[in-house]
Amino acid sequence: MTGRVIVITSGKGGVGKTTTSANIGTALAKEGYKVVLIDTDLGLRNLDLLLGLENRIVYTIVDVIEERCKLKQALVKDKKNPNLQLLAAAQTRDKSAVNAEQLREICEQLKEKNDFVLVDCPAGIEQGFQNAVAGASEAIVVTTPEMSAIRDADRIIGLLATKEEITSYKLLLNRVRPNLIKTNEMMSVDDVVEILEIPLVGIIPEDTGIITSTNKGEPIVNDEDALAGKAYRNVAQRILGEEVPFLDLDEPKGFMAKIKNVFSKLKVKV
Amino acid sequence: MEKGFVENGFIIDLSNTKNTTQLVFELSSIMEHPDVKGKRICLKLGALDLKQSQLLSIKALIESMDAEIAFIDTASEQTQASAISLGLIVSKLGDDIKVASYKAEETEIKEEEVVIKEETNDQDTEIGKTVEVLADSENAEQVKPISEIEGVEDVYTEQTTQELSEIIPSEHFENDFEALAYSEGLLTKEETSKYILLDTGEVLPEDAEENTTDTKTLPTLYLNQTLRSGQTVNYDGNILIIGDAHPGSEIIATGDITVWGILGGIAHAGSRGNVTSKVRALKLNAIQLRIAGLYARRNDTLNVPYVQKTNEFTPEEALIEESKIVIYKKLRRD
Repeated sequence: MTGRVIVITSGKGGVGKTTTSANIGTALAKEGYKVVLIDTDLGLRNLDLLLGLENRIVYTIVDVIEERCKLKQALVKDKKNPNLQLLAAAQTRDKSAVNAEQLREICEQLKEKNDFVLVDCPAGIEQGFQNAVAGASEAIVVTTPEMSAIRDADRIIGLLATKEEITSYKLLLNRVRPNLIKTNEMMSVDDVVEILEIPLVGIIPEDTGIITSTNKGEPIVNDEDALAGKAYRNVAQRILGEEVPFLDLDEPKGFMAKIKNVFSKLKVKV
Repeated sequence: MEKGFVENGFIIDLSNTKNTTQLVFELSSIMEHPDVKGKRICLKLGALDLKQSQLLSIKALIESMDAEIAFIDTASEQTQASAISLGLIVSKLGDDIKVASYKAEETEIKEEEVVIKEETNDQDTEIGKTVEVLADSENAEQVKPISEIEGVEDVYTEQTTQELSEIIPSEHFENDFEALAYSEGLLTKEETSKYILLDTGEVLPEDAEENTTDTKTLPTLYLNQTLRSGQTVNYDGNILIIGDAHPGSEIIATGDITVWGILGGIAHAGSRGNVTSKVRALKLNAIQLRIAGLYARRNDTLNVPYVQKTNEFTPEEALIEESKIVIYKKLRRD
């Protein structure tokens, strides 16, 4: 078995790389695929928190590289889904503790026994980024509809284009707020795609549920009702090659729309 | 309110209005008139300062009445900048519009047309030919000031009209003819196609010397890709990019820089001191333009975060004129 190694990157911090990694990983695992998540954000690890696995970590990626343990020992199984495993970052070290070659070697080993290896990339374009993309053959660029995030994503896409191993890169637009787009306060999805000129893999609406899910250590894809969770499940489907239409984020607003809404609800009751 | 009649449209004089509210009120009351439909509106705005968003809503108001803005006459610099950033034409509306200055630019337009003719489809070829024919047959006597012209047809001699009808199928004839006559009318006004960037200053490295080497003799680097933020192209010669140059990218050439797309990064033409070099793009939105030893920063009022892609870009060319970097808009064919 040869799995796919996908790096999740953004350039800018705080746009939702780790959230995206956790959710896509969980969604793919729920579909029955074997998934390994690698946290390469050495010294600032978060992925374990989002998955609620912090207390289970014994060995980290640095322990594997410095041969204090076997790769298999360092993989932490998810609480709910044994298909999902995490290779955690070391919190006590920094990015210089590993190099690109070592990470490529780990990815090579992991993809032999798994369907997906998702690499959560740290912010920035320095050593951490170079390490994270080393073993990957696909990339998902996460951005938000803000000029600063888009500029950084543009930079990242330029850098990814110079990596021969990476054959496809797709865009995931996070924290979209349809009501702000409608009032022209936020850039629309089309605008962002037009600027960055790469294919879209997902549109994730801003969802307050993300905050509680992060704090609880429970990825939002497990919440069947959350819109963001549904959006992430759709992303997983698209990664698997299914054609899923993008969520219609437009909620009917305005006086007439509200009246129509009321009528449609009445009909249901009758 | 003074209302005058110009080539298939109106002049709406709003120069007496004191604020935006009054302006919009006056304008909408005029726009309600059924004759306005399908017409080109020349707006006289006086000294009123209008922001880009305000001008945009005025434009939208006019377009909602099935009319369009032909050009804007304003005394305010802010309004002018807003208009330019919206792609509207700014012009002075005089009693008599002089045609003499058109001659100099006409040859440039012809060159542009020829290029377009070679590269695009059949329909464009026809248009290209039309311009050539017009340019050939025109001389100073035949071109009259617009104030003297009652019907558009009068601009050309009968002979020209015949030549045109041979080239263009009759069903296309009327529209193309009108469009050409119209765009020609606009280009007669020099201000419409020219604007100057702010803050010209020195950037040339110490060891470079000012020169006027013909850029045609230099080698050209041909790039068929989009330049993204952080990417730099540096070449001893001309650079031609088929694609956009995103904000954050850098293009440095000792000769000309031509971008077949939106130029949003920094461009430095004539980086070794060639003052004849030029920067061209379908849309010049560079944060900073540098030519030889001069640099110019983008006007703050033009500081839009990104340019929306349309099919209606007007190619632009930046060059040095009287120790300033000046941008010319090339050929507007509505």
